[in-house]
Amino acid sequence: MAALCRGRHRWKRTSSLHVLTRTLTGNYDYDLVVIGGGSGGLACSKEAAQLGQKVAVLDYVEPSVQGTKWGLGGTCVNVGCIPKKLMHQAALLGTAVKDAKKYGWQISGPICHDWATMAEAIQNHVRSLNWGHRVQLQDKKVKYLNIKGSLVDEHTVKGLTKAGKEMTLTAKDIVIATGGRPNYPTNIPGAMEHGITSDDIFWLKKSPGKTLVVGASYVALECAGFLTGIGLDTTVMVRSIALRGFDQQMAGLVTDYMDAYGTKFAWKCVPKSVEKLSSGALQVTWTDTHTGDEHKDTYDSVLWAVGRAPETKALGLDKLGVELKKETGKIILGSDESTSVPNIYAFGDIGEGRPELTPTAIKAGKLLARRLTGHSTELMNYDNVPTTVFTPLEYACVGLSEEEAEKRHGKDGIEVYHAFYKPLEFIVAERDASQCYLKVVCERGGQQKILGLHFTGPNAGEVTQGFALGFQCGATYSHLLQTVGIHPTCAEEVIKVNITKRSGLDATVTGC
Amino acid sequence: MAHYEEMAVHGYDDFCQAVSERKGKDIFVYFSGNKDAQGKSWCPDCVTAEPVVRGQMTHLPEGSVFIYCQVGERAYWKDSNNDFKKALKLSGVPTLLRYGTPQKLVEEECFKSELVRMMFTED
Repeated sequence: MAALCRGRHRWKRTSSLHVLTRTLTGNYDYDLVVIGGGSGGLACSKEAAQLGQKVAVLDYVEPSVQGTKWGLGGTCVNVGCIPKKLMHQAALLGTAVKDAKKYGWQISGPICHDWATMAEAIQNHVRSLNWGHRVQLQDKKVKYLNIKGSLVDEHTVKGLTKAGKEMTLTAKDIVIATGGRPNYPTNIPGAMEHGITSDDIFWLKKSPGKTLVVGASYVALECAGFLTGIGLDTTVMVRSIALRGFDQQMAGLVTDYMDAYGTKFAWKCVPKSVEKLSSGALQVTWTDTHTGDEHKDTYDSVLWAVGRAPETKALGLDKLGVELKKETGKIILGSDESTSVPNIYAFGDIGEGRPELTPTAIKAGKLLARRLTGHSTELMNYDNVPTTVFTPLEYACVGLSEEEAEKRHGKDGIEVYHAFYKPLEFIVAERDASQCYLKVVCERGGQQKILGLHFTGPNAGEVTQGFALGFQCGATYSHLLQTVGIHPTCAEEVIKVNITKRSGLDATVTGC
Repeated sequence: MAHYEEMAVHGYDDFCQAVSERKGKDIFVYFSGNKDAQGKSWCPDCVTAEPVVRGQMTHLPEGSVFIYCQVGERAYWKDSNNDFKKALKLSGVPTLLRYGTPQKLVEEECFKSELVRMMFTED
């Protein structure tokens, strides 16, 4: 609250001092220094430079525990969205080839997948993105420094080059967009020495082989999903529930599909230790918390997907009094991305309460740059952010989960329209569509404003992007009724949905 | 004496030969449309870019190789099946690239001396 007021107040002060402030920047090396060259940091620095500021961006990748490093672009480009989606695509293509036989393609014998070919192609693409970002920064006159930055005071950043040389920069404003890194479990012997994380999986030169994925976040499920899809023996070990924070009915459909698809699940199990055997294989011991029994099995790889920690430790934030949320370690932010220290801002994955998504980081970064340069007062709108989980059966959503809608409006205050549908393409391929489902959670009264939309099915992200626009415009169920579907698509089933959960009727859609 | 090796090649086979003879080296290649008897290329962008690229060559890393490759006549280049487009995925001339890496500058990017210098000096 106070931070919000401070943000607005600061801008009012700045606008009247705008001319004076401009000339004062002659005292600093830069108008803006951005620490972190990921989705957010790059967007912010390029926007600020385009608006006439003298900007520097610092990007540095501390190698992962297993020694993996990467170039400019942050998590999304190097160890997140991009390689993830490409490996997901590799897996989907495997399924498509199998489907192809039903459509008449003559494919002799079983097909197999070569990790090295896929990895090289994806890694080359990522490297070309690293280069593309370099060219963009140079082109937009943003100074890029491959150094590990930390704060000395609210106008000074110091950095360590790879060679260990120290340098300092001063700036009128400093923005922290250092993102996060995967967590390793702290109390499991052998976890760090023998396990890998999402930082490593996309850069492996050789196949991870039989893999145990520990965790049930979207990172865990997406990785387990594509590993299964390319033919690897994959197990997901879940401590309690899958996709915490997401609509749990939808989470169940996602994991049910993965289970039918061939991914093994060890529910309510907790790993105890990881040992490397003389064969080189990893022996994992775990406890089934349901029965209390201990189990052992061997794997070629163990992938920890047990959460991400914000990159704040090495920044020197405590010295400056930048407030962090104790439970998460993330930076507490005002709605204008300000921190508890004037002239220091932060956004993206590092921000407390912010979605850990590239598009929100990019948008927030651009808006911040516009505000800092006095070109705008617009704050980032973090509501109605659509997202997609790229598991073998994709799940996309925008708005509230059914649980959250119920919490806010009461069970009687909402109407949930739902349908189990069958993608046309699945039918010829004789694919099981039991988990292809959608629901539109609406307010019960009035025009029935849509509170949340959830969809599992092929290309869920593509299907849902357009609906997110409708959602942003305050779409209601009556708007849905007025819209004509595109046929034959899976998306049209959203438009046509008419059975309510309340009615108890069979929600299975019959063909046209 | 220059701290890099410079050589000129004509056509795809010549280019492949030059590269295979220099395995393990840091090779920069500048692809240009063929020059006529007067030394002028049919590709106007190549004419513009060449002095910019040459102006930055002092920044080439020690021990590196700079290959000036004339790709062929305009008609050859315009054929979308030509070897350079097929094998090297070149999309246009001029192209300045660092062989075996995704680092490349295409067409107008080659007009910008800071980008050329960046390619020669970054690792």
